[in-house]
Amino acid sequence: MTAPFLHIRGLRKDYGIVNAVKDVNLTVERGEFMTFLGPSGSGKSTTLYILAGFENPTAGDILLNGESLIATPSHKRNIGMVFQRYTLFPHLSVGENIAFPLKVRRWGKAAIDARVRKMLQLVRLEGFEDRKPAQMSGGQQQRVALARALAYDPPVLLMDEPLSALDKKLREEIQHEIRRIHQETEVTILYVTHDQEEALRLSDRIAVFSKGVIDQIGTGPELYADPATRFVAEFIGDSDFVTCRILSAKDGRADLSIGAGASISGVPVHGTAVAGGTAALMLRPERLSLRREAAREGTSGLSASVTDITFLGSSIHVAAAAPSGETISVRLPFGHEATSGLSRGDTVSLDFDPETAHVFCG
Amino acid sequence: MTLLTEPDNRTAAPRARSVRSRNFALTVPALVLLVVFFILPVVSLLLRSVMEPEPGLDNYRALLGSTTYLKIFLNTFSVSALVTIVTLAIGFPVAWALAIMPSRWASIVFAVLLLSMWTNLLTRTYAWMVLLQRTGVINKTLMGLGLISEPLPLVNNLVGVTIGMTYIMLPFIILPLYGVIRKIDPAILQAAALCGATRRQALTRILIPLAAPGMVSGALMVFVMSLGYFVTPALLGGTANMMLAELIAQFVQSLVNWGMGGAAALVLLIVTLTLYAVQLRLFGTARMEGR
Repeated sequence: MTAPFLHIRGLRKDYGIVNAVKDVNLTVERGEFMTFLGPSGSGKSTTLYILAGFENPTAGDILLNGESLIATPSHKRNIGMVFQRYTLFPHLSVGENIAFPLKVRRWGKAAIDARVRKMLQLVRLEGFEDRKPAQMSGGQQQRVALARALAYDPPVLLMDEPLSALDKKLREEIQHEIRRIHQETEVTILYVTHDQEEALRLSDRIAVFSKGVIDQIGTGPELYADPATRFVAEFIGDSDFVTCRILSAKDGRADLSIGAGASISGVPVHGTAVAGGTAALMLRPERLSLRREAAREGTSGLSASVTDITFLGSSIHVAAAAPSGETISVRLPFGHEATSGLSRGDTVSLDFDPETAHVFCG
Repeated sequence: MTLLTEPDNRTAAPRARSVRSRNFALTVPALVLLVVFFILPVVSLLLRSVMEPEPGLDNYRALLGSTTYLKIFLNTFSVSALVTIVTLAIGFPVAWALAIMPSRWASIVFAVLLLSMWTNLLTRTYAWMVLLQRTGVINKTLMGLGLISEPLPLVNNLVGVTIGMTYIMLPFIILPLYGVIRKIDPAILQAAALCGATRRQALTRILIPLAAPGMVSGALMVFVMSLGYFVTPALLGGTANMMLAELIAQFVQSLVNWGMGGAAALVLLIVTLTLYAVQLRLFGTARMEGR
């Protein structure tokens, strides 16, 4: 078996008594687009900064093609990076910025010129060579930063929330650019963001960071359909949680009951389920169906009373209170028959496929 | 945002003009003070340079035609240049260190810098005499350690003047440089490192060019101040390397020759203004473009 392309092993970083990164383990394949997703302070940026060589890990190792990077200083790592802030060299023109890494590598003039032209073409900024960074928009500056980071063909490109300073429309535009550039260059990208939509749109795989560890690694659909922890379930997609009681648990499935309702069987369970204990049942708004009657025996559902109905254009959002008082959201397509004449206070039954729900214990 | 600020800008234009003229009226007392106590004496001195002992440019001819005086000019420029270079060489790392050190430490260093600036100039210069003279602390220590057998000539020569003036000029270069360096985003240097730049390359290709406006304005200030410096060269320098200010003092005090003194002062003023114009030309507009 060959060594993985990039291997992060037992990475740990302490700042005094603060434990920023606890224990991060990850392998990345060549050409993969891997996103570190998590809230601020989850350790995702610190992990990226250790990869860049700006921070030394307290423990653990990073292997690129089987060789440790830890002892190599930043300027010899041959890694590309696009930062959250604008980091173009303000006294150099766009062309000179892209040429900078090539000049310090002592490329010949003709080779540098050709490369700069090619990179400008890649990020679609031909003709901007002589502009100064201050004369360009934020989006353009980040595209130049991308061209500069890719100019020397780095094996790995790090991106630290590069779009967070841009407005939504521009962000989406550049997300498309990044996807296209990833496909064209086949560079391995490690991308840090706290925006789940951005992560889902861009990534091959996503590593969800929480409190210094990776909670789960998987493709977007995997994380959505089968979240390993309550944190992942909350972070990827919309979800509501209802307190339930575990009746029995076996082979990763649990039977449970909500309030005084009927038992629901065969719900995937995470964590240690104890019969008789309480747990949190995750329900996704778009995977619930709504019937205008109280829950019946034999169906997997719960009774709730409608508290709010919001029209959102293509969809209608119904908020309902479970017997426990917790709010559950249901998203239905516009024009769905169950919504016609629905009003506040109505008792409805919310049904779901036990396979798509998840129970989190502890 | 823009919607809110735009109408504001439009109404601000006429208001700005009236505010400006009102503000100008406020400066009149200060201007009068400046004219009476500063500009008039200078003008009268300059007039004396062309009027005394008789009208004409004789004073200038004497000043610029004599090798003795030209040597003093030359000496003034070379000492000032030397002081500027040494100050810059020491001031840059200090300013850089101040910019990156924790602010608590930086404020302590600033306090020390400012305290030295506020201490009487004469006291500071005498302190250097005590340190540098033949039987001073430095020579005694070095001899005690057996590193030298004869005291080093550290005072009443170029070495003494350079040390004393560099010390006095340091804050004037550190403060503007600190301001410029602090504005440089550390992430820019991180980006340079990932681009493959060694520390030296990051320094010479990124940091120094970005700090250049601060370096030039600081260096110019030090150079110009050095050109006209009197106390330190007079106390720490020797007769062999007299500076222009000393010459002017001699003309006025010992020789009571106001004409020659005024001429020397005017030459100094012209050089200073020329340098200032050059700096404005080179960096006044360039700095605006960078922003």
